[in-house]
Amino acid sequence: MNIMGIIFANDGSLGALTTKRTMASLPFGGRYRQVDFALSNLAAAGVRHVGIVTRHNYQSLVNHVGSGEEWGMDLEEGGLEYLTPYAMSTTDNYRGKLESLHSAMAFLEYGAEDECVVMIDASVLSNIDLKDVIASHIASGKDITVVTKAGICNGSRKIDLTMKLDDQKNITDMAVDYEAPADYLASMDIYVLSKKWLIKQVKEHIAHNLYHMDRDLVLGQWQKGLITVNPYVFPGVALFTETVEEYYHNTLALVDKTVRHDLFGYNHPVYTKVRDRVPTYYGEDCEIEGCIVADGCILEGKAENSVLFRQVTICAGAEVEDCVIMNDTVVGEGAELKCVILDKDVVVRPGAKLIGTPNNPIVVKRGDIV
Amino acid sequence: MYFQKKRCIAMLLAGGQGSRLKVLTQKTAKPAVPFGGKYRIIDFPLSNCVNSGIDTVGILTQYQPLELNEYIGNGQPWGLNKTHSCAQVLPPYERHDKKSGWYKGTANAIYQNIDFIERFDPDYVVILSGDHIYKMDYAAMVEYHEKHNASCTIAVREVPLKEASRFGILNTNPDGTIYEFEEKPKKPKSTNASMGIYVFNWNVLRDALIADEDDETSANDFGKNIIPNLLNSGHKMMAYTFDGYWKDVGTIDSLWEANMELLGKDPEFNIRGDERRKIYARNNALPSSYIDDHAKTINSFIAEGSEVYGTVRHSVISVGCTVGEGALVEDSVVMPGVVIEPGAIVRHAILGENSRVCRNTVVGGSFEPEEKKQISVTSKGSVVEAGIVLLPGEML
Repeated sequence: MNIMGIIFANDGSLGALTTKRTMASLPFGGRYRQVDFALSNLAAAGVRHVGIVTRHNYQSLVNHVGSGEEWGMDLEEGGLEYLTPYAMSTTDNYRGKLESLHSAMAFLEYGAEDECVVMIDASVLSNIDLKDVIASHIASGKDITVVTKAGICNGSRKIDLTMKLDDQKNITDMAVDYEAPADYLASMDIYVLSKKWLIKQVKEHIAHNLYHMDRDLVLGQWQKGLITVNPYVFPGVALFTETVEEYYHNTLALVDKTVRHDLFGYNHPVYTKVRDRVPTYYGEDCEIEGCIVADGCILEGKAENSVLFRQVTICAGAEVEDCVIMNDTVVGEGAELKCVILDKDVVVRPGAKLIGTPNNPIVVKRGDIV
Repeated sequence: MYFQKKRCIAMLLAGGQGSRLKVLTQKTAKPAVPFGGKYRIIDFPLSNCVNSGIDTVGILTQYQPLELNEYIGNGQPWGLNKTHSCAQVLPPYERHDKKSGWYKGTANAIYQNIDFIERFDPDYVVILSGDHIYKMDYAAMVEYHEKHNASCTIAVREVPLKEASRFGILNTNPDGTIYEFEEKPKKPKSTNASMGIYVFNWNVLRDALIADEDDETSANDFGKNIIPNLLNSGHKMMAYTFDGYWKDVGTIDSLWEANMELLGKDPEFNIRGDERRKIYARNNALPSSYIDDHAKTINSFIAEGSEVYGTVRHSVISVGCTVGEGALVEDSVVMPGVVIEPGAIVRHAILGENSRVCRNTVVGGSFEPEEKKQISVTSKGSVVEAGIVLLPGEML
């Protein structure tokens, strides 16, 4: 069966970290951007016709993903397309997923042979075998499959779409933007559905001024008994990122072996844009402990429980603890950092001291000198 | 089909066995041998080409080509897969005349691919080999060649007198013209060694190759035949002096040394260059490396995809390796995908790709600074079983 993929790049909700980038192009895990996971999941399932829906600040996204070459999606037929807003669209800008799909109808309708659609968000990270999800969708005979994860809801974390199942795995409740109790499943914002059915739903909903995928299509139609929903419960690691604090904890979670190996190894490789950096150099007196380190760094100082992106420099005598340090940032001699997220190209002056807390990490924005 | 005329193309001789690398080239051609954590030897000449504006490279392969061919692929990692660029692998092939067969020598390899070169109607052809680690701007050498109106220009470098008899030695006039070429002379008259990098006017080289092929006594070799013949027939030949880092990595010892020369705060060879002159390599979709709480990483290169739980000192750890808890790796080159199990000790060794050193085993030994270091080597995919000791200089 031919499968089409749609990735939602999502607007940023992480303050300074996403003023100039989408959630999809948010750097993650030393050498990745969040969108790499969605793209690699689709690529591993053999999906070669993918649209990326984006509406704001997509320069960094286009720069990163390019023609899709790294994911084997730079094809003559199908391949990768950017579904950016049209200046002359019927609406000003997309209000919801259904509206964005409506204005990308040409993309959806192209390629009659695509029977099935996988919709996936860039802001939930996982290494998931989508072939298994698609097989489950077909076997269920339901209208739409929603991939969910247990253990995310905790009564205080607000989740886009949640649902509760009974012992027979039937859905007994569903809610949108809800601080669901711990026994609810959180949607990973991955859906599988038939293309024909999706096109019909998009047209019907837009015609009735309904545009919200979770609220109007999934929850609304399910409540009215008009559609059937197949919940797929994903057993692996899934990282949900909506806030700076969640981003911080999800990034540092990679220090944990099970999280790291699940996210990068069990199913398929995660591809990203190649930067051709040299291997990282560990100096004579460096002390690096419990760290994730990308290529191209020069490490002369001390770092503990931190994630160091490509080409980071930690000078002698600097001490870094519980930090996330993005590409090309330099931590000067004798500087002391704890619980800090440093965006790209930051310079920390020698002797500077920045101390955040795990629940309130300090964020230094791109290019700043502190 | 339309071929754009090129001012200059490169031909890269990558067919040699590299027998002095012993077990490391049993199943791999020398240019495909891993180097520096994430590179292979061939990345250096290929990246030099790209960084010198040469976008058409013919790569002559013969010995154990599978991995090398896979690695080169369509030339994408070096940006050589565009409409008017190529990295074309050129194996020996069968011909209608009796001249087919294996590449008999370096000159014969180019001779058999005259048709490939003719497609681009080049003014100059650069001849390179796939056994050296260096960064060089070939464009500057071609400029020099053109400025001096030479038929052939040979890159040279100063070598210590005691080593000169291992090289082709060029004796030059003060203006840089070459008046004599001696292949591996017993009593060298100068210390100008040929680096095996040549720029030729294509029309001169083509005629020389055809003449050489007709000479049945010829060894069909650039150093032994083509260069001396051109010199004897009165062609203007220039020596181009290169004084940057350059290392022949044709032996176990020199390969080990070259890797060690990447280390230190101010290394002898700094692979890091400016943004536009990087050394490119085929990428291995592996995550960032992980350095554990109990790990010690001292004066070392550690590439992505590695997990270090033990101690690494003065070593190169390549992509996708694991150094287990309590293990010690010292003064060693660990090639891609190697697993060093907990408690193992590895000193002065080169561990071949995907080899495994089992728990509590010992590979190699320590040496006094002035002592000759004997490097222990494991071959690709080999396993140093538990309880085994691989002595200094031993190979598995």
